[in-house]
Amino acid sequence: MKQHPLCTDCEQALDVLALPVPAELKREWAELETRRRFLGRTGKVLGWAALASLIGDKSLSVEAHAASDAGASAIPSRADLKLPYFAPKAKRAIYLFMSGGPPQIDMWDYKPNLAALFNQDVPESVRGTQQLTGMTAGQARFPIAPSHWSFNRYGKSGTWVSDLMPYTGRIVDDLTIIKSTNTDAINHEPAIMLMNTGNMNAGKPCLGSWLAYGLGSMNDNLPTFMVLQTQLNPKENNQPVSSRLWSSGFLSSEYAGVGLRSSGDLVLYLSNPDGVDGEVRRKMLDAVRELNQQTYEELGDPETHARIAQYEMAYRMQTSVPELADLSREPKSTWELYGEEAKRSGTFAYNCLMARRMAERGVRFTQVYKRGWDVHGDVTGVLPQLCQETDRACYALITDLKQRGLLEDTLVIWAGEFGRTVYSQGGLTADNYGRDHHPRCFTTWMAGGGSRPGITYGVTDDYSYNVVSDPVPVRDFNATILHCLGIDHNKLTYKFQGLDQKLTGPSPASVVQGLLA
Amino acid sequence: MKLLESAVGSFERLLPQRKSAPASWFAALMVAAALLLLPFTLRLDGKPHADWLQFLGRFHPLVVHVPIGLIVLVPLLEFAGDARPSLREAAGFVLGLAFVGCLAALTLGYLLSYAGGDSGTDVTRHMWGGIGLTISVLACMLVRPAWTSGSVQRLYPAMLTCTLLLLAWTAHQGGSLTHGRNYLTDYMPALLKRALTIGVVQAKAPASNSFYARHIDPIFLRKCVECHGESKTKGDLRLDSYALLMEGGKDGPVIVSGHSAASLLLKRVTLPPKHKRFMPAEGKPPLTAEEIAWIKAWIEQGASPTAIRLAGIHIGGEDDEPLQPVGDYSKLIPGILALENGQGAKLLPVSNKLSDGLILNTVDVAASFGDAQLARFEKYAPYIVEAELGRTAVTDACFNTLATFTHLRALHLEGTRVTGAGLRTLAGLSQLRYLNLSNTKVTQAQLAPLRSMKKLRHLYLYNTPAQPASIADAGQPEGSNAR
Repeated sequence: MKQHPLCTDCEQALDVLALPVPAELKREWAELETRRRFLGRTGKVLGWAALASLIGDKSLSVEAHAASDAGASAIPSRADLKLPYFAPKAKRAIYLFMSGGPPQIDMWDYKPNLAALFNQDVPESVRGTQQLTGMTAGQARFPIAPSHWSFNRYGKSGTWVSDLMPYTGRIVDDLTIIKSTNTDAINHEPAIMLMNTGNMNAGKPCLGSWLAYGLGSMNDNLPTFMVLQTQLNPKENNQPVSSRLWSSGFLSSEYAGVGLRSSGDLVLYLSNPDGVDGEVRRKMLDAVRELNQQTYEELGDPETHARIAQYEMAYRMQTSVPELADLSREPKSTWELYGEEAKRSGTFAYNCLMARRMAERGVRFTQVYKRGWDVHGDVTGVLPQLCQETDRACYALITDLKQRGLLEDTLVIWAGEFGRTVYSQGGLTADNYGRDHHPRCFTTWMAGGGSRPGITYGVTDDYSYNVVSDPVPVRDFNATILHCLGIDHNKLTYKFQGLDQKLTGPSPASVVQGLLA
Repeated sequence: MKLLESAVGSFERLLPQRKSAPASWFAALMVAAALLLLPFTLRLDGKPHADWLQFLGRFHPLVVHVPIGLIVLVPLLEFAGDARPSLREAAGFVLGLAFVGCLAALTLGYLLSYAGGDSGTDVTRHMWGGIGLTISVLACMLVRPAWTSGSVQRLYPAMLTCTLLLLAWTAHQGGSLTHGRNYLTDYMPALLKRALTIGVVQAKAPASNSFYARHIDPIFLRKCVECHGESKTKGDLRLDSYALLMEGGKDGPVIVSGHSAASLLLKRVTLPPKHKRFMPAEGKPPLTAEEIAWIKAWIEQGASPTAIRLAGIHIGGEDDEPLQPVGDYSKLIPGILALENGQGAKLLPVSNKLSDGLILNTVDVAASFGDAQLARFEKYAPYIVEAELGRTAVTDACFNTLATFTHLRALHLEGTRVTGAGLRTLAGLSQLRYLNLSNTKVTQAQLAPLRSMKKLRHLYLYNTPAQPASIADAGQPEGSNAR
C-alpha cells in the first residue's frame, strides 16, 4: 500500500515467518505468498471484472467508471440535480430557532378554560400512556398551571397572542401560525437534531445544507448557509447548541453552515495580520491551493476540493463580510424599528438585522439561534425576559422584509424543538411554576415565501396537550419548507449507506397544503 | 354445401355408434344447458356474498391451471398417438380429466366473482369463455369415440382446435383481470408494438382544466380503476368518470359533496392499512397523504367537476395565474455561460423547466454592473423573467434596455440611481407583477404611467419621496407600500 505522504513513520515490513506463531499459520502464509497463487487469483479477478463489465447494467458501469476516473465525479454534482423542480415562491429562508422549547401555552396556544382548573391534576385520559422525561416522571401530581399572562386578539384575523409579545401581535396577519406541530423526541438533543436534520441521530445533513446542496449559491462572495448565534443570557437555562446542527453530514462540507461569532469579530482572523498585505495573502493561498491539488491528485479525496473551495470563500469573505457587517449606512428608521440593542453584536435584534442584510445579499439560508427557552422553573421570572429579547426583533424583521419587498420571496420560520407541558414541573404557586418538555404539540410560525398569511393551522385539546386536528409532524413541516423553495422532498435525495437519504427520512411525509398560499 | 352435407353425414354416422349414445348425449345437453343458464339464475350482481364462498373462490387461480395443462396435453397425445398407440388411448382419459378440471375451475371461478362482487366487461367475457370452454371439452369427449373408430374424420380435430383457441382467449381474459390489460404489451419492444399496431397507451391528457380532471381523476386512474373500472367493476363501483363516481356503488354514493367525513370513498382510503375494508385492497399501492389531502379538499369544496382551483391547495408548478412561458433557449446556453464567465453576472434558471425562464442575478458584481453591462443581456431579453438589479450602478438609461425584457415579471431596482423619469418605458411590460423602487428618488408623480399596468400588483416604494402617499393613490389593486 502506498504510504500517506504525511506519514513519517517508516517501519520495516513485518516478517511473518519470524513471528512466534503456530507453524500451521506460517505454512498458510507461505502458500499465500506464492507466485502461482498470485497469478491464479489475478486471473480470476480479471475474469470476473470482464464478466461484470459484460453483464453489468449501465448505471453500475457508469458509476464504476466515474469512480475510477476521478473520485469527485462519482459524487453527484449540484448542476445534475436540476433544481428547483418547479418555480418556487421563496428564493431564500431565514430560520429563527428558539432552542430549548418555548412554552406554547404562555405564548400562542390560548386556553382560557385552564384558569378554572388551577392546581387540579391533568386527567390521565389526556396524558395517556406517554412516557415523561426523567425530570417529572417521578412527580406524584401533575397540577395544571394556567398561563400567568392574559391574551389579546390582534390583526384582521383576530389571532390570540399573549401579552408577552405585543410587537409580534402586530404582524399576526402576515404569519402562518401552526399550533399542531409535533415531534417524536422528548429531550433536547434528539429533538433539536430531528427538527434540523430530520433524524434524531447526529450525522445527517441539516435543512440548510440540503438547501445549499440542492439550490446552490446566489452570491459567490458569501456562504450559501450562514448561522448566527445569540449571546447567552446567564439568567436563562441555556441548553447547548452544537455545530452538528449546521453540519452537512454526508454531503460535502462545502454545504455546511458557516457560523458567525456572537461577539468581537464576526469571523476570526478575517483581516490580514500586520505586515501581510493582500498580495502576500493571495500568494500564500495560491501556494496552499497547489499543495491541496497535489494531495487531491494523489489521494482523490473529494473533501480536498471542499477545502480548496473554503479557502477561496474565506478570501472573498475578507471583503464581503466587513461590508455585510457595516451598519453605519443603515438609516435611522432601522434603529427605530429594531431598537437600539440591534447595534450591539450578538443580540437577537442584531442577528435579525443581519439576517435581513444577508437576505438582501442573496444568502440562501440564514439560521439564527436563540437559546434559553428551556423554562423548567421560574417561568414568570424568565419568560418575560426571553420574550422581551425576541418579540420586537421578530416584528422588526418581518416588517422590514415586507417594506423592502423581500418577504414575498423569503420564507421566515420561527420554531423550537418542542413545546412545554401544561402541568407544572416542581412546585406550583399562585404566581410561579415550571414547565417540562412536551413533544405532542407545540406552536411554530412561518411568514412570507409562499406561506399562507393570517391563518392559524391545527387545533389542540383543552389542555394544549394533544393535537385534535391537522397534526403537522416535523417531517411534514420540513417537507413544506422545501416545497416553498421549489423542492420536492421526495426527489432531493443523496445516496449514502445504501439508502436514498432525504431530509424527511424514510417515513412518508407530505407537504401540508393548508399552510401554503 | 358439400361441407355441410358431409358434416350432417358425419353426425348421422356418429349417432348409432354406441347403445348408450342417446343417454350420454342427453346428459351432455343437460349439463351444457345448466352451464349456459348459470349466469342468469345466479346473477353477478356486483355485491359481495358470504366470506366462505370467497374463500373457496380464491382457489380458482390455482385450480384453473389443471384443466389448462390437460387440454393442451390432449392434441399432443393425439399427434404422438400416430406413432405410439398407447398414448392415443391415454388421450381419452386426459380429455375426461380435463372436463372434470374445467367444471371445478368454473365452479370456483364463479364463486370468486359472485362472492367477491366482481362485474365488468372482462369478468363477463372470462366467465362466458369458461362456460364455452367447458361445453366444448364436453363436446370433444362425445365426438372422440367416433373419430377413433374412424367414422368421422375431420370434426374432432376441428373441434379440438376450436377448444384450444377458446382456451387461449379465455386465459387471456383471466390474465387481464389479475394483471391488468396492458400486462403483456407494457414491455413489448416498440418495434413489435408498431408492427402489431397496438396503440401505445399514454396518460390521456386531462379533458378539461378543472381540478377534477387534472388532479382527482388521475389519482383514480392510477390507483383505483384497475378494480373499479370498465373491465373490472368491484362492488358495482366505477371511478373512471365523474358521473359514475358520483353514482356510487352497491353501498350507495361514495362522495357526499361538502362532507368529507360522510364520504365513503375517503373513509375507505383513510382506514388503517391493515383494516379489512381498507382501499386499495389486496396490498395494491395505497394513496399518498397528498392525494388524500387533495381528494378531501375537493369533496369539502363541493366535489365540483368544473372548479378550476381549490382554496388551500397549491400544487407545485401551478400558479394561481398561469405564467406566460418563455421560449426555448437551450441553444443559447453556451453563450450564456460565456457571458457569465466574462463579467460575473449570472442568468439562473427559475426551475428545471426551461419555459419558466431565467433570473438575471447581479449581486456578485453589483457595484460594477451598469447600463452597458445590462445591455449585453439584451440578446437574452425574452427569456429573462426576473431582473435583480438592486444596488447596481444602473441609471435611467437602463429602462430602454429593460423595455425589451418582454417576459419580465419581477424587477428589482432598489437602491439604484434611477429617478423614475423613465418608468413610462416599462408600461409595455405586460407581464410585470413586481417592481421594487425602494431607496430610490422616485416621486409620486412619476408613478402615474404604472397605473395602466394591469398585472403590476406589488410595488415597493420604501424610503422614497413617493412613499408616504403609497400605491393606493396610484390605483393599484392590493397595493400598499408593502403589498
